[in-house]
Amino acid sequence: MPVGSAKRYLLLVLLLGLGWPRVGWSQEAARFLLSGTVRGARGEALPGASVAVPALNTGTAADSLGHFSLPLPAGRHQVVVAFVGYQQITRELNLTKNQRLNVALEESGNQLGEVVVEGAATLEEKLKTTQMGVEHLSIREAKLLPALFGEVDILKTLQLKPGIQSGGEGTSGLFVRGGSADQNLVLLDNALVYNPNHLFGLFSVFNSDAVQSVDLYKSGFPAQFGGRLSSVVDVKLREGDRQHYVATGGVGLISSRLTYEGPINKGKGSFIVSGRRTYFDIFTRALNKANEGKEDYSPIPDYYFYDLNAKANYTLGDKDQLFLSGYLGRDTFGFNSSGGFDFKFNWGNTIGTLRWNHVFSPKLFVNTSVSVSDYKYDLTNKLDQFSFKLGSSITDYSGRTDFEYTPNDRHVLKAGAQLTQHKFGVGRLDANSGDGRVNFGSDVSYYGLDGALYASDNFKATDKLQLEGGLRLTGFRSGSNQYGGLEPRASARYSLNDRTSLKASYALMYQYVHLVTNSGASLPTDIWYPSRLSVQPQRSQQLSSGVSFLLGQGKYLLTNEVYYKWGRNQVDFKDGAQLFVNPELDAEFIFGKSWSYGDELYLEKKTGKTTGWIGYTLAWSWRNFQPQRGTTGVNNGQDFHPNYDRRHNLTVVLLHQLNARINLTASFIYTSGSLTTLPLGRFGVQDIPGSSTGIDPRPVPIYPNRNSYQLIPYHRLDLGVVYKIGTRRNQDLTLSIYNAYNRRNAYFVFFETVKDKATDRTTGFQAKQVSLFPVIPSLTYNFRF
Amino acid sequence: MITINKSAVYILAFLALAGCGKLQNNIDVALPSYSAELVVECYLEPGQVPSLAVTTSVPYLSAALPQVPTDVTVSLTMPNGTVVPLPFKPNYAALVDTSSGQKFHSHIGRDPLVARPGDVFKLDVRDTQGRHVTSTTTMLPPVPIDSVEYKFNDKTGAERKAYFLTSFHDPPTDDDCYRLQLHKGNPAKGALLKRPEVDNSIEDRLLNGKPFVVGTTYRFLSGDTVTATLYHTDAAFFRFRQSIRDARGANGNPFAQPSAIYSNVQGGVGIFSVLSGTHITKIIK
Repeated sequence: MPVGSAKRYLLLVLLLGLGWPRVGWSQEAARFLLSGTVRGARGEALPGASVAVPALNTGTAADSLGHFSLPLPAGRHQVVVAFVGYQQITRELNLTKNQRLNVALEESGNQLGEVVVEGAATLEEKLKTTQMGVEHLSIREAKLLPALFGEVDILKTLQLKPGIQSGGEGTSGLFVRGGSADQNLVLLDNALVYNPNHLFGLFSVFNSDAVQSVDLYKSGFPAQFGGRLSSVVDVKLREGDRQHYVATGGVGLISSRLTYEGPINKGKGSFIVSGRRTYFDIFTRALNKANEGKEDYSPIPDYYFYDLNAKANYTLGDKDQLFLSGYLGRDTFGFNSSGGFDFKFNWGNTIGTLRWNHVFSPKLFVNTSVSVSDYKYDLTNKLDQFSFKLGSSITDYSGRTDFEYTPNDRHVLKAGAQLTQHKFGVGRLDANSGDGRVNFGSDVSYYGLDGALYASDNFKATDKLQLEGGLRLTGFRSGSNQYGGLEPRASARYSLNDRTSLKASYALMYQYVHLVTNSGASLPTDIWYPSRLSVQPQRSQQLSSGVSFLLGQGKYLLTNEVYYKWGRNQVDFKDGAQLFVNPELDAEFIFGKSWSYGDELYLEKKTGKTTGWIGYTLAWSWRNFQPQRGTTGVNNGQDFHPNYDRRHNLTVVLLHQLNARINLTASFIYTSGSLTTLPLGRFGVQDIPGSSTGIDPRPVPIYPNRNSYQLIPYHRLDLGVVYKIGTRRNQDLTLSIYNAYNRRNAYFVFFETVKDKATDRTTGFQAKQVSLFPVIPSLTYNFRF
Repeated sequence: MITINKSAVYILAFLALAGCGKLQNNIDVALPSYSAELVVECYLEPGQVPSLAVTTSVPYLSAALPQVPTDVTVSLTMPNGTVVPLPFKPNYAALVDTSSGQKFHSHIGRDPLVARPGDVFKLDVRDTQGRHVTSTTTMLPPVPIDSVEYKFNDKTGAERKAYFLTSFHDPPTDDDCYRLQLHKGNPAKGALLKRPEVDNSIEDRLLNGKPFVVGTTYRFLSGDTVTATLYHTDAAFFRFRQSIRDARGANGNPFAQPSAIYSNVQGGVGIFSVLSGTHITKIIK
């Protein structure tokens, strides 16, 4: 949408923001506002904690910072504050004016805090909220579940929720409701994370000791989020213990972690520093040393990754609080070839955020933050005096401010603005020799400016009907290219009765930056590219609706959601596209349509000794890229499924507290086989004279159709045991068994040339199925002192 | 990028070894039907008798031997408009001879080719089933090799090896591509027909009009005779080779996106090009 035509909508945004509250204000003038913060006993904010007055059948949930605002009539009230995994408290209040209430909840009797599964809200609150298509996960939940190599990974745990697919065996990429992995907005304390993966997608960058929780929005996106089409992954770091200095950590199969946290200035603030490093390189170096000198010795390359998280917060008074958080992570890979090449490759994110929280009044507060996010990779080849360097980067400087205003118990208004400057280092190449004969470089860089204004209102129209409307005006500029658009967001909830809710939502999203990759996997060499020249913003719209039932005296919540999502200007790349250091990269893009639809069924239980969920998704994802720009499109212009399309997806997750020391967990997943492209035909080439002898025995595959072959169904059972040790139960041994029944799931299929051993002549071709991970037991020792 | 993809495969393989058991199994795959196409490979070279290989593509899991159709007629149109038929005279022995370096041809002319830079040639291939392949190509001027040189590492004995540098200057025209081959051995004894030590495809995308220095790893021993051959090729030939590399690379690499084959022939698959090369031979001492 051109910028000019969007201006008229700005007025509409303002009208929406100002018009609705007036209605509510006149009706609710006699009431007072109870506001405050809910924290754990260590001082950590408890997002989603419930603050309720049962006698009035009203309540609210704390936001992502633990803040809450609850309008109540004047008079005496019993206020109940609760959060699953913590001891509930009740406070008597005589409300004669606007009043603050800050509470600290004690954990419910476990030292490591890993016994009880918690959620953002109680099941009843999930039933009542207008927000749909959101998954909340606390780190406690992720830590309990069995994990590959014992590495707790919050993104992989999200893959167990309906509507969220993994890209492949063991990978942490998220494919949400038919969207690709680059269409997820991944935020770490409000700062954008461009590459949330270590080790080619096998592990996420989020260290479980430093993370507090993650919310993933699949639909009904709140207006404060934008910039990606498919999902919002909002990760919050822990704030640190405000009462005690505490060291926690763990020693696992492939990595170790150490975290230190404590109070600042007698509890006015707190800090947390957390680090993690793998030790593949120690094993591989030992293996290389043992094999050195043997025939056919081929050294295993050196590889390790590390990350460091830090966060501090400080309370300046009753009304102000500062937060500073940062992340630094690197993957490092290298080897020396027998031919003398020294190869080094490293990549990673650097992220920092400074946030100021100011409470103007119990009804109004604001969060203002500035952040920097940088992702880069550098690849270096050296031989004698010659060196060759290749790199790419993206750097963002962002500022945002978000207001929240609760004029009465019918409205929650939110409004804000965001501005980001991007520097896209699309490609950087340097080649040099010590004698100066080789000396050239190329640097393809662009700048972009990304801005947004938004406003939304959560409007409780009646006891049964609640509406949320929002508008987001976005714009993007790179060079002389400008794009903009209006992104309406709407959702509604209608309660048929205390146990049943109907919900619906609509969202439109624009994406102005694009991932340049043709691998179909998350690789560190992925490049981000701005909308410019012929590369227009991607756009998607999504309609979803659902019904939720509270069953079994409120112990179970059954939710069914259906969705239809459609997008245009989806990007792909020409076959053989030159993606590295190409000043004409625009010409390598091709554009198409996408659409997806499905039904997600979800049954969850969050309280009691046995908790967990069952999710089932029936879904279809489609793409179409017509012939264009000198190509035949993709799949010759015919509709095709992306490789992450899965028709059926069933997950079962069970967590059982056997006693005070032992927790048992299990997760099972079954999905339709992933799609892959296999060659249907082949031909031989013999090349020019002097290139080979005879016709090259390696056939050239012909791939007429994209993703037309389906691998065998994927299923896997993981089992876990958490056994607490020590008199204070402040240590544990966590046993994970990944792929417990040793299923040979297909990672990929290829055709191998079969040769006659006597003559070395090709006699035929055989399809081979490769599996990645057999049964993998792992033991992790965790401590807290 | 192949290096990165291979790196990922190395590490995944190492992680997989952390478990146990066989992780690769034979499976039966039922592929959809596939319609065969004519495959044409024709490299003209000044002073050589024009020849080409016409085969057909086949379903992937069919018999391994190349399919050579016998009902194909071929004609080559010379720069002056003369149409020269290339009769069907296959040298089947080359299909099984892996030692001489002789290339297989299905059709061959009679007289050596006369070609100059700028000359345009046309190829016409048709069979009795109505399949018809055509193509046009232009001979590019050869680009001289400015120099070749080598340098030894500081090791001794069998570990003492040299890298080899080939220098040339790219002309100012856009889209020049090159193929640089290094053959080891005596050219008089057919060394240039054997598999090369190094075979690089290069484009001038980032260095248009500038000097090129192309090096190798430490791989040559004292006494080796090394011949550098530099072919000046058009972008179509470069792209054909790249697409073959990408298509092959996608078979067995879970990170690679399968590539279509970019031919410069119409009506089938293949390549039609005039080789415009220069050579320099140097003995490593």
